[in-house]
Amino acid sequence: MSRGKSIWKLTDKYLLGFFLGILLLGLMTIFSSTYEGGDIDFFDFSTIYGKQAVWVLISVFFGVFIMLLEGQFIKNSSYVVYLIVILLLIGVLFMPSIKGVRSWFQFGSVSIQPSEFAKLACSLAVAKYLSSVNVKIQDFKTRIVVLLLLAVPAFLILMQPDAGTMLVFFAFIFVMYREGLSGNVLLYGFFAVLIVVIAIFLKASETENLIFGFQVTGNMIFVFVLLLLGAVLFAVIKLLVLPRYRKPRYKALVWSLLTGIAINLSINYVYDSVFKERHRTRFQIMFGIVEDRRGDGYNMWQALSAIGSGGNSGKGFLNGTLSNNKYKHVPEQSTDFIFCSFAEEWGFIGCLFFIIIYLAMLVRIIMISERQRSKFTRIFGYCTASILFFHFMINIGMVIGLAPVIGIPLPFFSKGGSAVLTFSILIFVFMRLDAERQKVLR
Amino acid sequence: MDPFQGRRWVIILILILIGLVFIFRLLFIQVLDTKWKDRAKNITLSEKSIQPPRGLIYDRNGKLLVSANQVYDIMVTPRDIGQIDTLALCGLLGITKSDFNQKIIKATSGYNVSYKASLFIEGMYKEDYAKISTALKKYTGFAAVRSSERGYPYQTAAHILGYIRKISKEQYNNHKNDKEPYFKNDYIGITGLESVYENELRGKRGKVYYLKDYKGNKKEQIQENKPVKGKNLYTTIDIDLQDLGERLMKNKLGCIVAIEPKTGEILSMVSAPSFNPSLLSGKNFSDNYKQLLNNDSLKPLINRPIYNDSYRPGSIFKLIQSLIALNEGVIKFNSYFPCNKQIIGCHNHEPPYNLKIAIQHSCNPYFYQVYKRLILRGENSNIFIDSRLGLEKWRKAVQKFGIGVKLKTDIPGVKKGLLPSLDFYDKWYGKNRWAFSTIYSNSIGEGEIGVSPIQMANLAAIIANRGYYYTPHLVKKIGENGTKKPEFLEKISTEIDSSYYSPVVDAMERVVLYGTARSAKIDSISVCGKTGTVENKSFNDHSVFIAFAPKNNPKIAIAVYVEYGTWGGTWAAPIASVMIEKYLKSTLSDRGKAKEKKIEKAIILNKNSDFTF
Repeated sequence: MSRGKSIWKLTDKYLLGFFLGILLLGLMTIFSSTYEGGDIDFFDFSTIYGKQAVWVLISVFFGVFIMLLEGQFIKNSSYVVYLIVILLLIGVLFMPSIKGVRSWFQFGSVSIQPSEFAKLACSLAVAKYLSSVNVKIQDFKTRIVVLLLLAVPAFLILMQPDAGTMLVFFAFIFVMYREGLSGNVLLYGFFAVLIVVIAIFLKASETENLIFGFQVTGNMIFVFVLLLLGAVLFAVIKLLVLPRYRKPRYKALVWSLLTGIAINLSINYVYDSVFKERHRTRFQIMFGIVEDRRGDGYNMWQALSAIGSGGNSGKGFLNGTLSNNKYKHVPEQSTDFIFCSFAEEWGFIGCLFFIIIYLAMLVRIIMISERQRSKFTRIFGYCTASILFFHFMINIGMVIGLAPVIGIPLPFFSKGGSAVLTFSILIFVFMRLDAERQKVLR
Repeated sequence: MDPFQGRRWVIILILILIGLVFIFRLLFIQVLDTKWKDRAKNITLSEKSIQPPRGLIYDRNGKLLVSANQVYDIMVTPRDIGQIDTLALCGLLGITKSDFNQKIIKATSGYNVSYKASLFIEGMYKEDYAKISTALKKYTGFAAVRSSERGYPYQTAAHILGYIRKISKEQYNNHKNDKEPYFKNDYIGITGLESVYENELRGKRGKVYYLKDYKGNKKEQIQENKPVKGKNLYTTIDIDLQDLGERLMKNKLGCIVAIEPKTGEILSMVSAPSFNPSLLSGKNFSDNYKQLLNNDSLKPLINRPIYNDSYRPGSIFKLIQSLIALNEGVIKFNSYFPCNKQIIGCHNHEPPYNLKIAIQHSCNPYFYQVYKRLILRGENSNIFIDSRLGLEKWRKAVQKFGIGVKLKTDIPGVKKGLLPSLDFYDKWYGKNRWAFSTIYSNSIGEGEIGVSPIQMANLAAIIANRGYYYTPHLVKKIGENGTKKPEFLEKISTEIDSSYYSPVVDAMERVVLYGTARSAKIDSISVCGKTGTVENKSFNDHSVFIAFAPKNNPKIAIAVYVEYGTWGGTWAAPIASVMIEKYLKSTLSDRGKAKEKKIEKAIILNKNSDFTF
């Protein structure tokens, strides 16, 4: 049995199918969003879609190359890759800034963004470290090491400054959770985010209620509600939980309550004293309390109009009238807001299809990860799924007005060579590792 | 065994939950809520409205009365004004710096917004614009738009034609919810034909839709609704006659109304003093309008033929009294009442042996008796009640002559006139506190009767037609292939037998041949007429004359009012005769020309008027 053939046979065809499908869909959307009429010239660097097509081709070549590597080799070079990327991240800080950001190495018309590669490097490093013998996630030391592995590149990226990309490192919380981090961390996180969102919303509403002659803002009422809820839960625990389990539950409840109240109080203070009027407006726009189609709300307004105008089944390929280079009503329509182009042209049915196959690919990655005997492969798979999911969640959430406007690309769709290369390599490496699953004993 | 294997399901659940949230949100944005679709339309579509040319106005012989002059409006879009040399621009446009600032303020306040073009300078003539057009291109935010302005080849008939004006904010709001709303720089007819036929003249706006990019550049035209041109009006006016009338009435106060009796078409309608209609067209409107409105004590803006309906008809009313009395059978052709001058005075004339003589000499005591018979018919022994019954009958008969009722004509502001009713006298004197003896001055057209000149002209037409009329009107047809409005084709009868008209017509002929209106005589045409003198306490009486001609198969009926003209025969009758001759013969005889000259030169104005020449 020749080696090449065995690799093709062992490659997961579903994942490959989803991946190539999404890659093509992305390329098509880039084309539609940047094509301005005239001759179509693929692989021509002077057009955005041509450039992107070249990058996709490069990514596929890289992928084929990766498929020919030994899995063990990849695993062994993890730290080396990590170190190289860290050096690149340091190096990029000395590059000339473009629009106030030092994120790119510029070679003629080609630019490389090392922060994208950091996603791959961290995935490899975290997978390598956590899969080492004698490393247990329950150990304090382990957590600190993982945190450091992530914090160093995150900090360097923040120095560029590129807060959006930095946020991606929060995606690793899913990996940690899968590997045994207490679920409470996830819950607390969720609980905290929920409290923050509700508190800011209530505060930004700027409704004042008169209670016993005191001006009370919405989020302060929320504090009372939380206390009330706490009291009810206290009673529930007391009545329904066996005495020996009560103590940790009380502890959790008290901590949650204190966190909630602290968040509310600090938001109350920050909103009134630290925020400037424009910050407040931004939050009010985000929560839909005020509508502003000219100033800070412009992007959102244009994006939602473009998406909404797609209607049921869209305007058809190349028929968009808002989010493409010809009309340019949607800012950043080939990068962060590329989903607008897709949604406008394919409508709700297209979006439904898109969300389903995107999530199907992620679920497939998770399912494949779980069938691994190699811990490294599994963790790497989770890293890949988590990173892609985080991008998907934040990007789409932002474009449809559910998340704040954070500059984060939509993998395989947004313009950007380094990004498509990184995401493709993540998938290819994972496929390569998966193809070897039979050989690995542990 | 990995204890955390099950956690994949938690993660997958989170994935699916987020997916579901996104799907519901997209369902809402794209399918359920149409708000964003509308907003997208707002963002992408640029709609350009195309103003159709306003309809033109012609006279009865196809001569153009209202034409279109090409002019240029300079528009400003305040937001787009760049770094410009304001002073140089002011110099170019011939305005002062404060004008400039004021105009900019105006362009950004009220219903004007800074990102839309507003009017900066109105109606620049073609020649003037040609001089500045290249220089103006340097000034961003300023642009010229071609438009057209009303032009008046004959410079007459201002009152008939009316004028148009940039729509006011109030009118704009009133028409906001119309099927065809106005735009803020649209013109709208304010008076005259321009206002009555506004909907026909203005046409229908067209629209072109473009797709625009984020800068507002039009990228692609996607739809077009062609504008519909305004319809032309073909009026009943004879512009030559109108022109003559205005010349005759120069330096006089009053009016002329000439009607074609067979159709009710108004041949000319002169209101003096008049003004040049061009004054109220285009950029100098405001100044000229103010001048006409405030600085001229003669009130040239008033359309006298319809405005004043309180002119007492005077002796002319005796014609109506005769016809009604004959029809009611209260007198005969040869009824005789002595001219005893006991109650009402009279001048010296041959005894009124019959109705004809009475009309010819306008005998007041005779008509006192006629009116008495009309009012007191002995239907009730109580004279108060008898008077009531009589007055009511009489009033209804008079209304048949278009007096005391609103003529349903196409002249705006037309009035009823005054025709006393039972209520009127009851209010004045109290119920059963008045009788014939109280109201007898009506008998000779004084008292409580008021008639507008157009009603008088209509009366002449009725007598010319021997008993019917068509509502006097100004428009023959709307649009090239249009027809007359059906209400103007409706024959309205006085319900008085046509045979009763012949003594009245004969008498009117005699008035012109031998009576008070000899000055209206035309050698080649048999004119029938009747003078009237409207008493005026402040100054000379008003001179009034109605006539029609020729006697058989009349072609023109006319009413002439010359305020302060003293006797009907002095000024009104000769003016009427010149008009009649001109219309029927198209050229004036020597005698006619002499009359025309004399009249044109005459200045007849109230000495109390504070005017200067």
